Amino acid sequence: MAIRAIIALVLWEVVGRLGLVAGGALPAPSAIAIRFWADRGDYPMHVWATMQGAGIGFLIGNLVAVLAGVLFAVSPVAARLARGVNIAIFALPAIAIAPILTLMTTGMTPRVILAALGCYFVTMTATVTGITQTDARMRDVVRAYGGGRMASLRLVELRSAVPQILGALRIAAPAAVLGSILAEFGGGGRFGLGAYLIGSLGRADPARLWGIGLAATLLAGIGYAVFAVIAQRMTASTVAVTVAATPPAGEVDGPVWQRIALAAGSVLLPFALWWALIAASGAPAMIAKTPMALLDYLMLPNKAGERIWDALAQTLPITAVGIALGLGFAFALALGSVLRPGIVRAFMPVALVTQTMPLVALTPLLVLIFGRGPSVILWITVSVTFFPAFVTMAQGLQMVARSALDVPRAYGASAWTVLRLVSIPASAPYVFAALRLAVPRALLGVMTAEWLATGTGLGNLLNQSRGYLDYGMIWTVAVLSVLLSVFFYQVVVWIERRVLARLGMTTAA
Amino acid sequence: MPVGLSLSGVSRHFDGRGGRVAALSDVSLEVAPGAFTALIGPSGCGKSTLLRLAVGLDLPDAGRVSVGGLSPAEAARKGLTGIAFQDAALLPWRSVEDNIALPFDVLRRPHDRARIADLIALVGLSGFEKSLPGELSGGMRQRVAIARALVNSPEMLFLDEPFGALDQILRRQMNVELQRIWMESRTTTLLVTHGIDEAIFLADRVVVMAARPGRIARVIDIPFPRPRRAELFGTPEFAALEAEIAGALDGH
Ligand SMILES: Nc1ncnc2c1ncn2[C@@H]1O[C@H](COP(=O)(O)OP(=O)(O)O)[C@@H](O)[C@H]1O
Ligand SMILES: [Mg+2]
Repeated sequence: MAIRAIIALVLWEVVGRLGLVAGGALPAPSAIAIRFWADRGDYPMHVWATMQGAGIGFLIGNLVAVLAGVLFAVSPVAARLARGVNIAIFALPAIAIAPILTLMTTGMTPRVILAALGCYFVTMTATVTGITQTDARMRDVVRAYGGGRMASLRLVELRSAVPQILGALRIAAPAAVLGSILAEFGGGGRFGLGAYLIGSLGRADPARLWGIGLAATLLAGIGYAVFAVIAQRMTASTVAVTVAATPPAGEVDGPVWQRIALAAGSVLLPFALWWALIAASGAPAMIAKTPMALLDYLMLPNKAGERIWDALAQTLPITAVGIALGLGFAFALALGSVLRPGIVRAFMPVALVTQTMPLVALTPLLVLIFGRGPSVILWITVSVTFFPAFVTMAQGLQMVARSALDVPRAYGASAWTVLRLVSIPASAPYVFAALRLAVPRALLGVMTAEWLATGTGLGNLLNQSRGYLDYGMIWTVAVLSVLLSVFFYQVVVWIERRVLARLGMTTAA
Repeated sequence: MPVGLSLSGVSRHFDGRGGRVAALSDVSLEVAPGAFTALIGPSGCGKSTLLRLAVGLDLPDAGRVSVGGLSPAEAARKGLTGIAFQDAALLPWRSVEDNIALPFDVLRRPHDRARIADLIALVGLSGFEKSLPGELSGGMRQRVAIARALVNSPEMLFLDEPFGALDQILRRQMNVELQRIWMESRTTTLLVTHGIDEAIFLADRVVVMAARPGRIARVIDIPFPRPRRAELFGTPEFAALEAEIAGALDGH
């Protein structure tokens, strides 16, 4: 391990010194270190600012998530009602709402909110899973002494959910750092690694950009490591590092009218929350748009519709291509690892390390290497979809029972036949889980790249409207990207249900 | 004061993949206060189901269950009952002594440290007070579960195959110990077992059950005076009763 790392470092140094990558876009480690030393006075305040936003958001987001998780585990009705909100939070591309948050709130608040939103879903689902999967026999012991649901939660269920929750906190820590940095990208605040990165983007100084990027990665990685160590200490067992992409179902079997009411409530609740938050904020109507005000804006003769269509026509195709490539590579590699288990051993550590990195925040580095053309969008989209998809699919395929693979082998099937008969069908639930995970991430990656680099599509429209103080458009793009993301999520769920039902399988988390 | 258990006309069925299972069908049973009753029968005849009904974990489809004249759930809330499940069902994050203390936490009573220490000594786990369940053998875990069932000094004790995981020697020792505990406390006890010898050695009355549907096939009184000693296992009277119960289990 150490030897390989040293070889890689030496290679990197040589490549950097000779300026082999995109005319010096990849500086040598020594150059980055020298620059870092020269900038050392700048770092503390930027790191501290990002840590503050991420840290407070992490605390608030996870606290809300655990409380919500307990509520959803105890009350299926609450889980069903909150489904729309949960999916929206899961699917919303954070960069899209960053400008709104900067308009409506001040100081650290946008960072705290985006960091908290980044933590919420993963911790909330882990809490629900942990509680509902509590060993029924342990619950029985409490009930046998007359303990009610509260006693059971207090003595058994919450404690047995701890490994799941700690596992989620590992993932939530880098997500909080990413949330804070995205809010910094979205405007507001002089300090923070994201603000520093944006501020340095214009000054052709690759070594500094790399230094900032590495610092952000390190910050996220430390957050991950702290909770990984706590999780290991406390539970001596490791929970898988796959990222959840399914909200708690909240199966309610009541009369039909009740189920319809709940479904309608779950769709309306996000809009009601939107309305309530604006009313509570007391922001002027010019800036804070309610759903009705947005409709009015779209009716104005300002060609808003046309500009949105143009932006969509640029954003959506490349998002689709990015998802297809990212998932395609991940699928091929995961299947390849069935034939050659060495692939997983070699590649899983890399893929897992990327789970601890704020990948989208590294967009400026990719801009250095790939320029400002469309290819940079693809690179970002593929890298943010490929890794989580690979982890999900490879871990899924490893769960296929040995005996299921051995049966065709016993009849002399070739490796390809085994793949075709067993592994590919068995991977179906994980492909869909990976797809649900990939859609919002891809949209986030594309919009961030459009905003920072290419000047095209929805991301750019958002950035421009920010400059023109076109509040109606800022809101429209934000709402539209959340709706799109939720829409595609639902399309995947719809197809998934049908395909898996036909295959007689159930959804993977 | 020990309390009695009464089941009258109790039925409980489950709807499963293979159709409806009549786990219990019209079962009536009276256990007098202070009596020791053994329940024996083929696996799947509804023994565990009967115990779950008696501690209020489940409700019958028909019939009435009462413990000391109260509903099982009320009796449980008052701390009248104690139960050791078929699998130990310990909380893996609690030490041996904290697992034994669990009923106190549920019943919101202060931990009786002295009683916990006595019970740990009684089940032969001295020195393992701070161990976690994961560090114990299956037999040791089962003994923790027995200690836990006794910790709140219940008036009605349910034991679901508590010695199933123990080896024969330990099992005999635990049988003798259980008899001693019972003679001291005179707690009403219902013991589910699949050991015919164990049932005869411990019980005043052996209830033989049959499966599909789960029902009581025969009730056999055991006349031996107490305290019963290990030598009893070798006597001809003991062998005769063993043969009678084995016959009842085979449906004679
Ligand atoms: N919760 C349940 N759901 C479905 N079937 C059950 C359930 N509990 C018990 N049964 C069925 O009821 C029958 C009796 O079970 P049980 O009381 O556990 O038997 P025993 O303890 O005598 O071995 C079995 O056929 C079992 O499969
Ligand atoms: Mg049983």
